[in-house]
Amino acid sequence: MQVSGGIEWVMVVNLIIWTGLFLYLQRLHRQVRALEASQEAPALEREP
Amino acid sequence: MFAKEWRSEIRTRYALNTLALFAVNTLVVVSASLGPLGAAPGRSSETLPVLLWLILLFAAAAGLPRSFVHEEETQTATALRLAATPSALFCGKLAYALTLLAALEALVAPLFLAVMNLDVARPGLLIATLAAGGFGLAAGSTLVAAIIAQARGKGTLFAVLSFPVLLPLLLLAVELTRSAFAGGGPPGQGGQGGQGEAGVALMQLLLYDGAVTTAGLMLFPVVWNP
Amino acid sequence: MKKRTAVAASWLLWLWLAAVIVGAFEYAPLAAKFIGQSSRILFFHVPMAWAAFTAFITAGVYSVRYLFGGRSQGSPRDPRHDRAARAAIELGLLFGLLATVTGAVWSRIMWGAYWNWDPRQTSIVMALIFNGAYLALRDAVEDAEKRARLAAAYAALGLVVTPFFFFVVPRITFSLHPEPVINARGRVEMDPRMLQVLLASGAGFMALFFWLHDLRTRVLAVADRVLEAAAAGAPSASSARATGTSAPHLGEPRTGADPATASQRTSN
Repeated sequence: MQVSGGIEWVMVVNLIIWTGLFLYLQRLHRQVRALEASQEAPALEREP
Repeated sequence: MFAKEWRSEIRTRYALNTLALFAVNTLVVVSASLGPLGAAPGRSSETLPVLLWLILLFAAAAGLPRSFVHEEETQTATALRLAATPSALFCGKLAYALTLLAALEALVAPLFLAVMNLDVARPGLLIATLAAGGFGLAAGSTLVAAIIAQARGKGTLFAVLSFPVLLPLLLLAVELTRSAFAGGGPPGQGGQGGQGEAGVALMQLLLYDGAVTTAGLMLFPVVWNP
Repeated sequence: MKKRTAVAASWLLWLWLAAVIVGAFEYAPLAAKFIGQSSRILFFHVPMAWAAFTAFITAGVYSVRYLFGGRSQGSPRDPRHDRAARAAIELGLLFGLLATVTGAVWSRIMWGAYWNWDPRQTSIVMALIFNGAYLALRDAVEDAEKRARLAAAYAALGLVVTPFFFFVVPRITFSLHPEPVINARGRVEMDPRMLQVLLASGAGFMALFFWLHDLRTRVLAVADRVLEAAAAGAPSASSARATGTSAPHLGEPRTGADPATASQRTSN
């Protein structure tokens, strides 16, 4: 990418991608936690 | 178990014929296009070992899985599970595969050399490679055949599963065969290797054989019985 | 892991890898024989390969535990080990693919070709094919118990063959690969700052692998329970949706879309 100070942009893009990935994984972790909790209780009838 | 395998095999001669036909067929195709008049002589010791081992590989893939698949299909598997211990069964199947492959190599290798008009610089190495490589081929194939016998899509699945398992064996065997044809040894890290390098590679091949056979002995009972 | 510790740990991981990324571009010097800035890719390519290798070993170990893990005669095997093995294989595929791609890009820069069947490239491809074959095997078996058992046996076989993939084959033929981190004389000869970033990156990617593995295993467990409940309970619209096709894919959720749809249903 021919932008002045090119290599810094690569680093910034990397950081953005990594942060996005990280936030997604945290969200996934929360969702799975919620599902596990709901499965512990006999709440399967709640499935719409 | 081994005797039983051969008895049923002699009756039908199916696997033997399949293997032999397949191998000879492939050999004919290969030699017609790449034989002494076809390929540049300088390259031949590089490319031809690969073809030899490909022929052996495909023939094995065509002929070996049958022994397990046949059991499952004809329902004799249940009887076998009752009659024999898994170790005995595995050894029987392995011995069967070994002899089949040995016969195949005895057929293909001389034909290959003759048809390709190859000189063998180190015949001892070639024989050792064929023996060690053939053993590994048989052992790996026997275990994978046992696994896929209980799955769907047997033919292609066998190829898919066995390929990555056998690849190290094939690469080692091809390197060694190359050395056997041309003399010298495998390149190694720095460049042209010497005779010692071939010895190391051969030991690695034998190590592979041992590892796969041990794995087969330990895993077969699990595969065979729930 | 308690909730607070888990959250804190994951933020620490974020910080760690962010620091690695910055370090890779700002702190570490460029390697001597590399073209331009291309040596920076190594801080990612190498740890990804390490992670793929770890994934492979993890799958093998869990598979062995599944098959032979201490259990009394006649008791069923622990499906958690099977799920963990499967998750590891999937992640091995992911990291292996990433390692291959980054390696190919770098190879293109250095030698003009994306691919040259360098022994290390060959061995990573072998591992990728193996992982794919494992998943293909799982798809080919209908019965759940048999599927787990056969797949575990195959993964255990892979564990035995792995050293040959990664150590033997690359040694016997000439390699374009730069020398490994610990070279033939047994000493590390990399610039210390490069080494620091590389090892830090390695640690970060390992942690990332284990986190992803944990998440994926739990997703598989949740999905399994949903399908079990649906199979055992009264038929309803949602269970029909959850199971989709019957037997062959029981317990084999197809994509990561499952937790998303499942969580939408529970959070409503």
